Amino acid sequence: MRVVTVCGMGFGTSLMLLMEVQAIAKKHGFAVDGEAVDLGSAKGKDCDFMVASGEIASELDGESVEVVAIDNLLDKQEIEEKVMPVIRRIAETKGA
Amino acid sequence: MLDFVTAILSNPAFILGIISAIGLIALRKSTSDIIKGTLKTLFGFLILQAGAGIIVNALVPFSTMFTSAFGLNGIVAEDNSLVAAVQTVLGKETALIMVFSFLINLILARITPWKYIFLTGHMMFSFAGTMAITLDQMGITGVQAIVIGSLVQGVSMVLFPAISQPFVRKVAGNDNVAFGFWGSSWISLSGWVGGLVGDKTKSSEDIKVPKQLDFLKDMSVLMGIVMVLVYVITALFVDPATMAEITNGQNTFLFAIITALTFVAGVLVLLQGVRMFLGEIIPAFKGVGEKIVPGAKPALDVPIFYSFAPVAVTIGFLSAMVGGLLVTFISKWLPVVVLPSVIGLFFMGGAAGVFGNAVGGRRGAVVGGFFLGFTFSLLIALAYPLVDVGKYGIQGLWFASPDAVIVVIIMRLAGMLFGV
Repeated sequence: MRVVTVCGMGFGTSLMLLMEVQAIAKKHGFAVDGEAVDLGSAKGKDCDFMVASGEIASELDGESVEVVAIDNLLDKQEIEEKVMPVIRRIAETKGA
Repeated sequence: MLDFVTAILSNPAFILGIISAIGLIALRKSTSDIIKGTLKTLFGFLILQAGAGIIVNALVPFSTMFTSAFGLNGIVAEDNSLVAAVQTVLGKETALIMVFSFLINLILARITPWKYIFLTGHMMFSFAGTMAITLDQMGITGVQAIVIGSLVQGVSMVLFPAISQPFVRKVAGNDNVAFGFWGSSWISLSGWVGGLVGDKTKSSEDIKVPKQLDFLKDMSVLMGIVMVLVYVITALFVDPATMAEITNGQNTFLFAIITALTFVAGVLVLLQGVRMFLGEIIPAFKGVGEKIVPGAKPALDVPIFYSFAPVAVTIGFLSAMVGGLLVTFISKWLPVVVLPSVIGLFFMGGAAGVFGNAVGGRRGAVVGGFFLGFTFSLLIALAYPLVDVGKYGIQGLWFASPDAVIVVIIMRLAGMLFGV
């Protein structure tokens, strides 16, 4: 499955988020690949779900995939609690 | 054969590709991941250089327009564009300083109490370029430049996060993460100034920001608007004969608008390149860093602080814009005209707003942002004579990171003392 993480510029915060999401997924035995992009090029990216900070996520409400909004980017627990259910659900529907 | 190896090792794209490959091998990634990562690093670097080319071409006519209109030099402060543009001359030094400074950062984090690992990739790259340029201006090149540049940058990578950490604690409420951004000291100072005059109990976050300001979150839109204004206003002041020469007979306004948007397009291309090559290198750096320095604190990019006070980001940015414009208007008495540099004002001004709000509420956010915008532009204007980028065939661009500029000033002063 594939994740796209989004921040204003597409490096820095989104790259950190991507590494965090991948590490959490790996811990639970899921392989997630993906990329970090900026808000401008996030539209319509091919992926299973997106992760972004709260203020950026509100700009992504037109996306066809689920967008996970993270309020505190430094809170690993929050990221895990919000992202894992989504990963599990996608894994089920994909039958993987 | 040796010539061939030397040629490969003096090409920045290949150096960075090899670094990625080493990092990915060290992290025991699969062969396909290693090939993918190495190639993406190469692509990223080549895209970055292409973007720099577009930016420089869009700035050449602008510089001519500006000088003819106002009789002064005008600059946009943007590190990444400037550093990318000098890669053809100082690419080898930049790439190697970037790598070795990171190793020095790891050693310092391992043996000193400053357990910070600087992980903001584009800032590592821009600072390395800043070192290469500054040393080159002092007549120091090659191995000597790589050694000095790496040492200075490696120390800066733990020193600046250490300086801003007490302020980071106030904002984030904990010590798990540090501030890895070459404006951290200035943002901390601006926040502190905001705290002197503000009232902590009246938080910025109780203010409702109108939905119409949402477009401010998209850098490209904002930069497009500002650059079009800058180009069109400048064009109004150029005498028609000169303008006709510059535009080759095209309509003045159309030319100004298209060239301004081309500048922004160049920045977007450049950033896409940065994104591609960092996406491979930074995870490798992070993996290596965590193995070598137990208990390390990652020093991260500025937007991690935005979620603590999103409204303060908007307030801080708008105030910084006002402060920056004020400097643009008093440029007559300064060495150079610092044009409103959107990227710097947005990211640093927004953070100064957050830091100001943490200690001084909404008034703190306004004052912090304004102080940052004003003093940052002033610092750039005053330091401008220290580095002549015209030497590399670049017009209209200069450095933008206050922390890096402070280091440049110190290096130049030290150079003068030792007669370099």
